[in-house]
Amino acid sequence: MQVGYETALSPSGKLGVWWFIASEIMVFGCLIGLYVLFRVAHGGWNDQASHVNWRLGAINTLVLVTSSLTMILAFNAVRIERRQRAARFLLVTVLLGFTFLGIKSVEYTHELGEGFTPASGMFWSFYYIMTGLHGFHVLGGIILNLTLYITAVRGTLWSGNKSSRVEFAGLYWHFVDVVWIFLFPLLYLA
Amino acid sequence: MMEVADSHAQPAGFIRRYVFSTDHKVIAKQYLLLSLTMALIGGFTSYLIRWQLAWPETDIPGWGPIGPDNYNAIITMHGTVMVFFVAMPLLLGAFGNYLIPLMIGANDMAFPRLNMMSFWTLFTASVVLTISMFVPGGPAAAGWTSYAPLSDNPIYTGVTWGQNLWILAVALEFGSFLMGGINFLTTTLNMRAPGMTFSRLPLLVWMETTAAVVFLLSVGPLIGGALMLLMDRTLGTSFFRADGGGDPLLWEHLFWFFGHPEVYVVALPGFGIMLEVMPVFARKPIFGYRPMIWSTIAAGLLSFVVWAHHMFVSGMDPRLATPFSVTTILISVPFAILVFAMIATVWRGAIVLSTPMLFALGGLATFIIGGVTGIFLGSASTDIFLHGTYFVVAHFHYTLFPVTFFGGFAGLYFWFPKMFGRMMNETLGKIHFFFTFVCFNFVFIPLFLAGLKGNPRRIYETSSYDFLKPVQHIHVIATIAAIGLLIGQLPFIVNFFYSMMRGEKAVANPWQANTLEWTTDSPPPHENFRTMPIVYRDPYEYSVPGAPSDWIPQNEPPEPIYPISAAAD
Amino acid sequence: MKSNELTAESLDRSSIIIWMWLVGLLGAGMMVFTLPIPRIPTLLLIFGIAGFKATLVLRDYMHLKGEKMLIYAIALTPLLLAIALALVLIPDIVFRR
Repeated sequence: MQVGYETALSPSGKLGVWWFIASEIMVFGCLIGLYVLFRVAHGGWNDQASHVNWRLGAINTLVLVTSSLTMILAFNAVRIERRQRAARFLLVTVLLGFTFLGIKSVEYTHELGEGFTPASGMFWSFYYIMTGLHGFHVLGGIILNLTLYITAVRGTLWSGNKSSRVEFAGLYWHFVDVVWIFLFPLLYLA
Repeated sequence: MMEVADSHAQPAGFIRRYVFSTDHKVIAKQYLLLSLTMALIGGFTSYLIRWQLAWPETDIPGWGPIGPDNYNAIITMHGTVMVFFVAMPLLLGAFGNYLIPLMIGANDMAFPRLNMMSFWTLFTASVVLTISMFVPGGPAAAGWTSYAPLSDNPIYTGVTWGQNLWILAVALEFGSFLMGGINFLTTTLNMRAPGMTFSRLPLLVWMETTAAVVFLLSVGPLIGGALMLLMDRTLGTSFFRADGGGDPLLWEHLFWFFGHPEVYVVALPGFGIMLEVMPVFARKPIFGYRPMIWSTIAAGLLSFVVWAHHMFVSGMDPRLATPFSVTTILISVPFAILVFAMIATVWRGAIVLSTPMLFALGGLATFIIGGVTGIFLGSASTDIFLHGTYFVVAHFHYTLFPVTFFGGFAGLYFWFPKMFGRMMNETLGKIHFFFTFVCFNFVFIPLFLAGLKGNPRRIYETSSYDFLKPVQHIHVIATIAAIGLLIGQLPFIVNFFYSMMRGEKAVANPWQANTLEWTTDSPPPHENFRTMPIVYRDPYEYSVPGAPSDWIPQNEPPEPIYPISAAAD
Repeated sequence: MKSNELTAESLDRSSIIIWMWLVGLLGAGMMVFTLPIPRIPTLLLIFGIAGFKATLVLRDYMHLKGEKMLIYAIALTPLLLAIALALVLIPDIVFRR
């Protein structure tokens, strides 16, 4: 076991996740920036934008924010070695993540049914790419958290310092939440 | 809480040791093999291109006739393969992965499994790209830059699947190097051996780390853009179509916002390799270590605000021309500092013209030509004449080729003993250098002249243009030299494989160099260092006055030696 | 494990308080949206609320509050860069034709 490094600046897992988040900020930041610029430049798109369901969007925001809470509660439980509690909160986070995707699917189904495809207009193109990419990231987070839940239940999460992965997964999950916190007003309320 | 990389025992079984390995040294060799294989494809496409341009009315031996449609596909594959599947895997994947842990005294990267995944992602990307060459409609044919609307709508190129697969391959490549970049950064920040402060890091590590940061921050918008392009092509959106409310120019902005930093992502490690080789074979310290670090950081920062110099004649807002000209001319300053510092490093040194040194010096010399010609392109007024001509082609070959191939070969000849435990043949190496250096210059200097005469790039032949009749002989000269350049790689291929199997066995430090990788065996054991090195010195203490030898390794304790307590927990 | 009990409560308490702020802000945003306020102030309020919510998550859930400068730098740099990119694109997107 190699020890005695020059002072590690921050735990490696944390640094790694933050670097990853930095590149994701560029992806979403650019898409959001482009959306804002195009929307301002092309007259507001209010006619197109009026067809999104802001009530479902608001519910989804509540779902995601709550899942952030349960994620941090899982992490808090890890810190004090309350293993079952941590596993339970991880599971709830996963379920809330699925709820988010479920509500999003309902929205998509309705919108596509009404004939609002990505090709229906620039607003819709941006709407689908931004929420689609975000949903893809939610799915990734669900898979990640589900894996952690399974290793927590099996016991393998608690050997060595693997349990710190809950914190790192949490960072990613909260980031996905932050992106949605901006997507919601941008797409649903503006 | 301190994270340490778990030191695994060497895994058993061929698959776990050599295929799905998490050992950074194995992964680096996988990247190396991939990049050299793709270089064969890239080199073959250059043969096709050059033959077509010299003798457009003939069929290319070993291939057949080339017309305007498949010419565009060939140049697209040439550029894509060379930048994304040769330069990146060679300079970052191979050298970065191999050397960063060794040079900082670590036993592996911070995330060994992520490292393995990054290689296999790139491998998948290259398989996707290869498949794209055989699908109906052929491979992507919109240039490696894939400008909209040419790339945006299949009716313009006739290519459907090929372009979509190209987007997928490039996206996978981006993912691969994102993973790698995260690894490089975290490893360099967290896993340096005791005493390896930032100001004792070898310059190659600084370069690789800066490149990783630049890549991480620049690739995001293009990932968004690539997704937008795919949606335009498959879902009927209009992100890059004016008739649907979008903007074709947006693609250029997004592409070059990444594309320009990308060339520095490639250039900096190439420089880093030259900077490791030069002090060793001049037996002199690096001149201006700190200014070089500041220049590297400055170049990295500035690289984000120069991109529109690729777009001076694109129809973008003309008010952007001046600011971007200013920033582009400005970025030549840190590079000039790097170049001058390199020259000063070897100036009056006890120069040994070994093969690595020849390639390093040759790379420096040719890069200077590339850099200087970049000034004409960076200034909007002159760029108006030169954009889209062979002047640009010659310029970027005089920058990318030196860093990728001169730098890459310098690195290969230099670190081959460490990587494979055997020495390469010096005679073959010198022959390889001679052919490469001479032929390379004879290919691309004439192309500057062709460009100045107005020869546009990306056209499949010049004979149908009267004003280009005077340059046709230039293309013939360039092609003959290009064939020489390709044939001149044979000594390297022979040398590389023969030496790997039958070369003279290498000692730990055949070059008497100071950096930490030379303190361990050639090749290093699985855990790199049997005992953790402790660093006391800068990396370039060569020919220190009064010292008993002309080189002092970084882990050599200072005089007098005090007992050091065992490496603490 | 008495100290554990106490720690669990106090750890979770601050997390739950943040959540309540977030929900409250969401509600406030919804109110602003549904009330007949003119467009510009509505937008400013809504995005201000969103910014505040994001800051809460970043600071308290992502622990940016107690983190080293390096992490701040890693988080902040891409944000500034993305904004810079958007600014440079204004002439071409907003003022085009």
